[in-house]
Amino acid sequence: MNRLKAIADGQTFESVIHEEVLSRDPVVSIRDFSLFYNRKQALYNITMPIVKGMVTALVGPSGCGKSTLLRSVNRMNDLIETVRIEGDMLLNGESIFAPSVDVIQLRKRMGMVFQKPNPFPMSIFENVVYPLRIDGERDKTILMQVCEQSLRGAALWEEVKDRLNESGLSLSGGQQQRLCIARAIASDPEVLLLDEPCSALDPIATGKIEDLIDRLRGEYSILIVTHNMQQASRISDHTAFMYLGRLVEMAETSTIFTRPTLSETEDYVTGRFG
Amino acid sequence: MIGPSTKRSSQTQFAAQGEPMVWLSGGMFAIACLMILSLLAFVLWQGLSTLWPRNYSIYGRTDGSLIAGELYSKEVVDGLSKLYLRTGNYDVSNQHFAYVSGAELIDDQPWSDPDLWALERREWGNLYGFPKALSWTNCEPGQFAKEVSVGMLETARIDQQLAQAKDELKRADQGISKARLGVRRVELAQKIDLQSAIDSGVVDGLDPRAKAAVEHLAECTRRAEEMMIGINQRIGELEQKRSERSILLELPIAQELGTIPLDWAELSNGKLSDPEALAKLLGVEFGGQAPQIRASSMGQDQYLCKIGFAEQPFRRILVRRAEGTNCVISGLQEHSILLADVVRFFEPNGLGLLGRFGVYASRWWEFLTGAPREAGMEGGFFPAIWGTVVMTILMSMAVMPFGVLAALYMREYARSGWLLSAIRISINNLAGVPSIVYGVFGLSFFCYIVGGYIDGGPVKAGFEPWPSAVWFSALAVLSVVGLAAFAVSVLSGQAEARRSGFRSTLRWAGGLLWLATLMGIAWLLIRSPHFQGFYQAQLPTPTFGKGCLLWAALTLALLTLPVVIVATEEALSAVPNSLREGSYACGAGKWQTIHRIVLPYARPGIITGFILAMARGAGEVAPMMLVGAIPLATELPLDTEFPFLHGSRSFMHLGFQIYSLGFQSQNSEAAKPMVFTATLLLLAIVTLLNQTAIWLRARLRKRFQTSQF
Repeated sequence: MNRLKAIADGQTFESVIHEEVLSRDPVVSIRDFSLFYNRKQALYNITMPIVKGMVTALVGPSGCGKSTLLRSVNRMNDLIETVRIEGDMLLNGESIFAPSVDVIQLRKRMGMVFQKPNPFPMSIFENVVYPLRIDGERDKTILMQVCEQSLRGAALWEEVKDRLNESGLSLSGGQQQRLCIARAIASDPEVLLLDEPCSALDPIATGKIEDLIDRLRGEYSILIVTHNMQQASRISDHTAFMYLGRLVEMAETSTIFTRPTLSETEDYVTGRFG
Repeated sequence: MIGPSTKRSSQTQFAAQGEPMVWLSGGMFAIACLMILSLLAFVLWQGLSTLWPRNYSIYGRTDGSLIAGELYSKEVVDGLSKLYLRTGNYDVSNQHFAYVSGAELIDDQPWSDPDLWALERREWGNLYGFPKALSWTNCEPGQFAKEVSVGMLETARIDQQLAQAKDELKRADQGISKARLGVRRVELAQKIDLQSAIDSGVVDGLDPRAKAAVEHLAECTRRAEEMMIGINQRIGELEQKRSERSILLELPIAQELGTIPLDWAELSNGKLSDPEALAKLLGVEFGGQAPQIRASSMGQDQYLCKIGFAEQPFRRILVRRAEGTNCVISGLQEHSILLADVVRFFEPNGLGLLGRFGVYASRWWEFLTGAPREAGMEGGFFPAIWGTVVMTILMSMAVMPFGVLAALYMREYARSGWLLSAIRISINNLAGVPSIVYGVFGLSFFCYIVGGYIDGGPVKAGFEPWPSAVWFSALAVLSVVGLAAFAVSVLSGQAEARRSGFRSTLRWAGGLLWLATLMGIAWLLIRSPHFQGFYQAQLPTPTFGKGCLLWAALTLALLTLPVVIVATEEALSAVPNSLREGSYACGAGKWQTIHRIVLPYARPGIITGFILAMARGAGEVAPMMLVGAIPLATELPLDTEFPFLHGSRSFMHLGFQIYSLGFQSQNSEAAKPMVFTATLLLLAIVTLLNQTAIWLRARLRKRFQTSQF
């Protein structure tokens, strides 16, 4: 526990990232990234890769900065006026935070799914093709094609194919969340960011989403924040453990859950604290 | 220990259950409901009953005279009844209404003669009386109603032709005014006086434009004069025709003729003991035959008789028993009116229920679609209804874009801070400013300054124009400032993650520069030496420099702006942030997010604001008095004449009509019933407008909402 105490006391701390993660090809590499809300620092010099085509889970106790880190990847934190950042991230080798970057173009290269399902107040069809609509796509056949592909990708097609013109809000919670996933993959993103996508869902819906993530593995690179250790162990290839704004340890999921380098990680994943 | 605590006193039990609050709040609710319901019931009853045709009753007075009228109310004070009668016959009796004490009457049971006619006229209000003769035909009294109906159709045709002729006259007049305006424009443009040229008709030596204008005026005048001779002749003929036909009536006003001895008992049996004496008294020839007589008792000792001597038309007399066998005979006053003045006639006492409904419906139809008569006290309210609706719609069209965009900026774009909070509080406070204040502002700013500026340029609006050189140098300076503002705001644009103090300063500077530019533009406009107004030729008659539809709509728009802003802001803040984030995460820009997600979601709330604004604006009277509503307008603000919507016209407004009828007309007592009907109508219009908007909102809502919202 002394390392955690050291972190709490604000001492410098070296993250442990296993070689098995570093040796792979990253889609996003986070470089010495820090983030401040006004004066208060929320993330401390985080350096970690997110591996291409794999599922990376961010775990850690509440308030450790998992979501903040996730939302920094597509610069959603820009919307909060008081946020200031240091360091950088690279998306496929290109800087995310360089002044010349067009945030809107950047966000179009990523998909994001939020904690609570947030379908737009429009039809299911319009919900899915929203990213294309804002790009001005009007061709019905293309829109229809993308809609079907995305809904099939999100394992929702069979359930909604006969009522695409109904409101997206008429779906159940789990269906709504899969609709949001369909929307997120409609523009064929390079990274998929999932911010606790199952926390508002019942176990059956959660199971379906987990199956879906499993199916999307390989096709998309996924970064997922989760509170649920079992979920992390079931669906992720890599797991990063964070604590009070610092990355503590990152390795293949099996390593983290069976023989982590640090005892603190083991304590956390086995539920002895946090 | 679980279970009821023994320590609790009964009082705390009572308070815990809150029984008194249920009664108190429920009682207050009931009282509020009752007040609203009774208000509605009162307005409905008063408004609906005004146009209902009532019985017209005749009462005998102890002094031998008659008093007659529609019974409006009857109250008993200390055993003495007091009657409130609508007498009509204003041109003869000089009163519309009369209070009569029961003590003055022989009998407070009235006599409702079925032969009595009620005639609604274009002027002087209703006339009640017994038809005696028609000037254009010699028919039997039984045929009067038919003859008058047919005659009214004919006079209606004459009136139509008359209106046409007057319209032509007006158009010819307008042609001359237009030509004269053209000359005035040339005079203003070339700073010359063309009056002598117009008077003499000599146009040599003038420049071509002036020449053309003067010649055009001369041509117009010549043509109009030619035309007018014909039209005036036609009008004269029509007026002549119109005044040819008249109706002679006997009014229920008694005039004593003299005293003769009569056998009272025989009279009550319908016989006259001494017809010769009566004939002499009445001044008719007695043919030796006994006259036909029908006597109706009007209380004790008084008869109203319909009497017809041979070869003579029927007439009515009042017979009252005096001392001994003597009887006082009174005749009824005769009165003749033009058939063309009659709008509607009926027999108020002889009508069945169906007939009454017919008159009622016909009155409502005229009320809703007709033009006012008698300075608005009678006839239709159509111009007022039309004015109210047009003004309200114009006001909504003005306030909605303003209010919604302002709220959108405050909620979606502006950065929160003390300035924004201060502005928000000020806007909320504006909603509580008395409406007359807006009226005064509208009058002084819109009518006098803006309207004056449009009419006659800066001078008319009360500003001293700058010399040309100064003005142009100021324009140059302003252009530089504007360019700087543009450059600075482009530089400071874009949301940035790495914010610096420099950019923030730049942003402020940009805002201030834009503000300076806007103020500079306004300043240059009011100091311009090169603008003389759009309607200078019409001066000193103001076009926009007075109360009119446009300024009324804008004043009301200003009045309802806070309502719209507050409602829109609330609607926008009710849009879940998760939706905005979802949209941004899809790569949507700010405007795309607002336009595709935020506004559709907030639309029902925004329309609620629209409804509130309309409800407030449509019923507002105080500012209307100052900025354009007038009691009687001859022209509608929206009609079939180009350019259809006439922003510079004054208009009639229902709310203002209620005020001016009830409190400003010559005879407000007579106008009171109309006030209630107008109130009912105003309520109906406001409700109708609101219902339309609510229906619209419900339709929009249905499009995407489910129980999830």
